Amino acid sequence: MQRGEPHNSDWRWFEYKKPIPKGVAIWLGVGIWVIFFGVWELSAPLGWVTELLVPSPQAVLRSLFELIIEKGFLGDIAISIYRILISFSVVCIFAVPLGILMGSFASVEAFFNPFVSAWRYLPAPSFIPILLMWFGTGEAPKLALLFIGVVWFLATLVMDHTRQIRNELIETSLTLGGSRLQILASVVIPAVLPNVLTSMRQMLAVSWTYLVIAEIVASTNGIGAMMMRAKRFLHTDEIMAGIVVIGVLGLLFDYSFKLLNKALFPYLEDHR
Amino acid sequence: MTEIKTPVKLSLRNVSKTFTLPRGSSIDAVHNVSFEVKENEFCVLLGPSGCGKSTILRLIAGLEKSSAGRLTLDGCEIVEPDRQRGMVFQNYTSFDWLSVQKNVEYGMKLNGVSRIERRERANEFIDLVKLNKFKNAFPKQLSGGMKQRVAIARTLANRPQLLLMDEPFGALDAETRWNMQELMISIMESTDTTVVMVTHDIQESLFLAQRIVFISRHPGTVLEDMTTEFKKQARIARKEDVWAMPGYTDMEHRIMAMMREQASDLSNYS
Repeated sequence: MQRGEPHNSDWRWFEYKKPIPKGVAIWLGVGIWVIFFGVWELSAPLGWVTELLVPSPQAVLRSLFELIIEKGFLGDIAISIYRILISFSVVCIFAVPLGILMGSFASVEAFFNPFVSAWRYLPAPSFIPILLMWFGTGEAPKLALLFIGVVWFLATLVMDHTRQIRNELIETSLTLGGSRLQILASVVIPAVLPNVLTSMRQMLAVSWTYLVIAEIVASTNGIGAMMMRAKRFLHTDEIMAGIVVIGVLGLLFDYSFKLLNKALFPYLEDHR
Repeated sequence: MTEIKTPVKLSLRNVSKTFTLPRGSSIDAVHNVSFEVKENEFCVLLGPSGCGKSTILRLIAGLEKSSAGRLTLDGCEIVEPDRQRGMVFQNYTSFDWLSVQKNVEYGMKLNGVSRIERRERANEFIDLVKLNKFKNAFPKQLSGGMKQRVAIARTLANRPQLLLMDEPFGALDAETRWNMQELMISIMESTDTTVVMVTHDIQESLFLAQRIVFISRHPGTVLEDMTTEFKKQARIARKEDVWAMPGYTDMEHRIMAMMREQASDLSNYS
């Protein structure tokens, strides 16, 4: 069967589930951004919105540079990234082994899962007041919020992926003489690892959400805190610059996960 | 060949397996099964689908525990899975993250075989299944037939007493299937393995087997224990040569009739 790119000549709009030429796909992808920024740029001059509340993309970009050069915004960005990296590392140290063990052994699941499931349904921000009382205003309450916001979800995702490992793989190892520990190390962990990385990628995005909540509610530094300061002085351009930075950082983290995925699991690529 | 009394390798005595269903009821998957497999014999468990032949194989592997009866390999009771009874499954079981070479070395690594010997033996069995050119390939790059060859090489390289195969060629296309069947004959020629294989393909069983144990349905039990005497103990390398042998057609017809009877049994059920 031939499944290559279709010829430009016999390509038409809106064919069900048919691939489109690569060039067209790129232009379409760029197009939505052009429209988005175009509408945004023109909305104030055309009188749809007030410049004060919706600054133009150019103004946002300008204030982003000002923030970085004059107001030490890079420090805020650094502290935010630091919070994400520390809290997410701790999350992974707990959640990944827990999820793998819960997915492998029914007894471990029976013990932990009712607990983990209950915590998953508690909205993490509801802990902010008590975290502030316990830990004061230092780094601890922010890291704790990031931790409880993500750890239960990651453990559950890893558990589900571990459960989906095909039984035949484990049974193959058993009939080759594998002990339980050997099977864990040589079958379960390598089999689930690519999916663990995917889950980590998904949960890292959620981490950013909680980070901004933590920094808006109770912080004097970080990207979120900068945005709250800007609000006090009606600097909408700075708020938007903060949003843009978070978006760009999110993309960068996502992209590095993609690279990591390629580097760690070259065998997943289909060469046929 | 001369008729020397070959020792019994595997023996099942009055083996039954009852599965308890979640609601408390139970099914007799395997009922009172007894048969023996001799050293170096290729034994096929043949029967209609759903007759419990795979369950019998899993009991032999130790992956299921029997509800009654006794299974022994070389006189020792089978209690749990170990390296003496290596299994090849219908679904592909190559480890995606290991190269062909590492896949074949896998079992030996579990059992602490030294690195040099591992490599040597893996090469030997990779040659045997004709995958030399793909030693460093990953399973994702292989076709279905090649993946099964990796699984066979991996199991044999671990030197089990018994090779168990659960419809190993069931997922392959017709051409690949007969290639694999002929490959099995050449493997049997060059290694001294005892094989128990499950299939519902009559031609496959007549081509490969020296012993055919026909399993009936509801409950799964031995209907007939046959030897393919028309082959006169020889291993014939090409399928069409087996078809041409006197006695082949008779046996095929006989088994076909048994299959048909089983099928009509099923229609009585519904």
